[in-house]
Amino acid sequence: MKLLKHISLILILFSTTLVSAQITFEAKVSKKKLGINERLRVDFEMNKDGDNFNPPGFENFTVIGGPNQAVSTSWVNGKRSYKKTYSYFLSPKKRGSFRINQATIEIDGEIYKTNPVTIVVTSAVNNPNDENNPESIASKNIHLVAEISNTNPYLNEAITVVYKLYVSPDTGVSNWREIDNPRYNDFWSQNIDIKGLKVLNGSYKGEDYRYVVLRKTVLYPQKTGKLEIEPLSLDVTIEVPTNRRDIFGGRLMTRAHKTISAGSRSINVKELPITGKPSDFTGAVGDFQFNVITNKSELNASESLQARVEVKGNGNLKLFELPKLSLPSSLEVFEPEHAENVSTNLNGMQGSISDAYTIVPQFKGKYPIPSISFSYFDVKTESYKRIFSNEIVINVLEGPTNTTSSDNNIASTNNNKQPIVVNNQQFAFIKTKTDLISINPNYFFKSTGFWTGLLLPFLAIPLALIIRKKKQERAADVTGNKIRKADKLAKRYLSEAKKALGNKEAFYVALEKALHNYLKAKLNIETSDFTKDKIKELLVTRKVDSQIVTEFLSILQNCELARYTPITQVEMQQDFDKAAKTISAIDKQII
Amino acid sequence: MKKLIYIYIVLISTCSLAQNDSFFQQGNALYNQGDFDQAILKYETILDSGQHSAELYFNLANAHYKLNHIAPSIFYYEKALQLHPNDKVIQNNLGFARNMTIDAIDTVPEVGLSNYLKNITNKLNFDAWAKISVVFVCLFVLLFLFYYFAYSSTKKRFSFVASMVCIGLTCLTLALAFHKYNLDKKNRPAIVFTQESQVKSEPNLRSTEAFILHEGAKVQILDTVNNWKKIKLSDGKTGWIINEDIKALSEI
Repeated sequence: MKLLKHISLILILFSTTLVSAQITFEAKVSKKKLGINERLRVDFEMNKDGDNFNPPGFENFTVIGGPNQAVSTSWVNGKRSYKKTYSYFLSPKKRGSFRINQATIEIDGEIYKTNPVTIVVTSAVNNPNDENNPESIASKNIHLVAEISNTNPYLNEAITVVYKLYVSPDTGVSNWREIDNPRYNDFWSQNIDIKGLKVLNGSYKGEDYRYVVLRKTVLYPQKTGKLEIEPLSLDVTIEVPTNRRDIFGGRLMTRAHKTISAGSRSINVKELPITGKPSDFTGAVGDFQFNVITNKSELNASESLQARVEVKGNGNLKLFELPKLSLPSSLEVFEPEHAENVSTNLNGMQGSISDAYTIVPQFKGKYPIPSISFSYFDVKTESYKRIFSNEIVINVLEGPTNTTSSDNNIASTNNNKQPIVVNNQQFAFIKTKTDLISINPNYFFKSTGFWTGLLLPFLAIPLALIIRKKKQERAADVTGNKIRKADKLAKRYLSEAKKALGNKEAFYVALEKALHNYLKAKLNIETSDFTKDKIKELLVTRKVDSQIVTEFLSILQNCELARYTPITQVEMQQDFDKAAKTISAIDKQII
Repeated sequence: MKKLIYIYIVLISTCSLAQNDSFFQQGNALYNQGDFDQAILKYETILDSGQHSAELYFNLANAHYKLNHIAPSIFYYEKALQLHPNDKVIQNNLGFARNMTIDAIDTVPEVGLSNYLKNITNKLNFDAWAKISVVFVCLFVLLFLFYYFAYSSTKKRFSFVASMVCIGLTCLTLALAFHKYNLDKKNRPAIVFTQESQVKSEPNLRSTEAFILHEGAKVQILDTVNNWKKIKLSDGKTGWIINEDIKALSEI
C-alpha cells in the first residue's frame, strides 16, 4: 500500500513536469525597479515556436532596441529543449510605477498570454550601469577627488583645489581626456602647471591606491555666501581585468571608456568683518609689506625722479588697487607704471606689485610726499592691519633758471669771472626787527572816540553861532559892557593883593600899588604927582561921586596907616572888598 | 599811592616788552643755527604773552616751513599777511609754502563794479578809513565856520565849496569804513590742518563725501552747525568740514 502511494506520488510529479514541459510563454524583465537613466530589457520567452507574436504597448517607455529574436535548440541527454526569445530594450520616459501589459502569441492554434509586469521607475541613479560590466568595475576602482584646502574661507582668501585621480592597483589607466573644464564663476582662479604626472601611492577610504595629481588650482573667492565649484569631468580609458585568463594564467584585460567627475563641491565664503575696517581698505587679504620709495631726495628742477608705491607679500596681490600717491600740485606727475612680479603656488600669490610714478619738479623748493596708508586683512590674526609709509621730502635745490650751475662750478676754477645771477625766487630769511603790538586790537572804528570825533565837530557849528550872537549882543549893550569892564579891571589890579591876603605888610603894599596902577591906567597920571589932592581933583573933574572919591582916598590912607598898626585878617578882607567895590564904582562913573 | 601803582604797571609792561624783544632775538638766533624747534618755542612764548607782529608770524612760519610743517607755515604766513597785506617777502615765502600743498584750487576772478569797489575798500583798513572820515568832518566844520564868518564873497564862495566837498568825502570814507568792516566780518579764512580731510555734503557723518581737502588748503568759513563748518573754496565749491580739521585765521 505504502509502495503504491509512493508510486502514485512519483507519477503525479512526472505528470506535472510533463505538463510544464509542454508549452510556456512568459515575460522576463531585467529589473523590476530602475532609475530613470537606466535601461530595461524585457524578454518574452517561449519553448515552442509560435506565430502572430503581439507585443504589449510599452506606453511609458521608448523602445530603443528590439525586437530581437533569438532561437536556441539544445540536446541534453537525448532531450531536446527549444527556446525562442523576443527581447526589447526600453528606456523609461518618466518616473512612476508602470505596467508592461500582456503579450500574446499563438502556438499550435492556441493563444497564450504573459503575465503583466509592474516596473517602478525611480529618480536617476549614480551608477546606471550594470554591476558586472567592465564599466561598473571601473567605477569601483577609479575615483576622481577634488581636495579643497579650506571650505570656509574669507572673501579673497586663497584656497586651493587639487584634483587627484585614484586608481586601484589592479586596474590601469591608459589614456585620459578632459571633457569639461570647470569654470570657476565667482572666483579668481589660476591653474598651477604640473610638469609630468607623477604616480604616487596613497590610500583612499582605507584602501591602497595609486594616485596622480591631475591639476592644482588656486582660487580667490570674489563673492560671499555659498559658492559651488563645478566638477571636473574626465573621459578615461581604463584597462579592466576580466574573469578570463590567458594561457599563462594572467588575467585578460578589457578596455572600457568611463566618464568620471569629481562631485561638485560647495564652499561657504565668509564676509570680512565690518568692525574695524579701515577707510582705505581696498580688499587686500593676506600678509603684506608696504613701502613708498623714491630714488632721489635731492634734485634740480626739470630733472625727474621716480617714486614707487610697492606692496610685497603673500595674498591676493592682483586683486586690489594700490593706494594712490597724493603729491603737491606744483609737481608734474606722470601716469604711474604698474608692475607685477607675482608667482602663484599652492599658498596663493606671492611677490610684489608696484606703481612707479615719474615726477618732474618745476620749481625750486621743498615738496613733502605725505605718508599714505595701506590696509589689509590678515587672515592669520583675523584682523585688519594698516601700514603707513614714511613721509618723504623732495628737496629741489635749483630753480629752473640755473639748472646748469653745477657745471658752472667746475668751470669757475678756470674762469675767475662769473656773472652773478640774481635769483629772485629765493626763500627769504627771517626778519630781524619787529614792533610787537598787543594781539587784542583796539579798534578805533565804532569806538566812542570815533563817534564823538565824528559828531562833535557838528556841535561846534551851532556853538559858534551862539557865541557870535552873544558877542554881538554884548557889543550892543554899552552900560553893561562898562560895568563888566570895570569889574574885570578891578579884579585884575587886585589879583596880586588877593594873593598876599593875610600877610599884612605885603598885602597893603600890593593893595596900594594896585590902586596906584589903576589910577595910572585910568587917569593917565605919573607916579611923581601922585598926591591925594591931585587924585581928588582929577576924579572930581572926571565926574566921580565925591563920596566914592573920599572912600578911595580913605583906602589909600588905610594902606599907609596899616604899616604901623596891628591889623587883623578880617580887617584886611574888609579893606580888600572895599577897594574892589570902590574901583568898580569909579569905573562906572568915570568918563 | 595810586601814582606808585601806575608807575609799577608801566615798569612791568615795559619790562615784559623788553623780555619779548629778547625772546624774538633769541628765536632768530636759534633759527639761524638751524634749531627750528626751539626757535618756534621762543616765538610762541611771545604770542602767549599777548603780543604779535607781522615779522613774528613771518619768522614762525619760516621755522615751520623748514620743518616741513605745511599747515602751520601757511597759517602763520597768512597771519603775517593779515597784518602787512602788501609785504612782498611774505608773499614770496608763502608761495614756497603753498608749493608743498597737494590741492590745486583755482580762483574764480571777480569782475565788474563790485570788484573795483572791493579793490578801493581794501586799500586801507577800516580803522584808517574811520580816522580819515573824522579828519574830513573836522575840516568840514572849520571850513563851514570860515564860510559863515568870512566877509569877502570870494572867500565865502571858496570855503563853501570846499566844505561841501569835505562833507561829501566824509560820507564816502565813512561808507568805505563800514563796507570794509563788513567785508572783514565776512572774510573768515581758515587753513586745513589735518593731512586729509573729507568734506561732506551735509553737516553729519552719514552724508556723502563732496570732495577731499589736504593739509594747507585755504578755505572760507561761511556757516557753523554744531561742530561742523560750512566752507567755500576759492573756486566756489562748498561743503561741510569738521571743526577740528581747520583752524580759523581770525577769531571774530
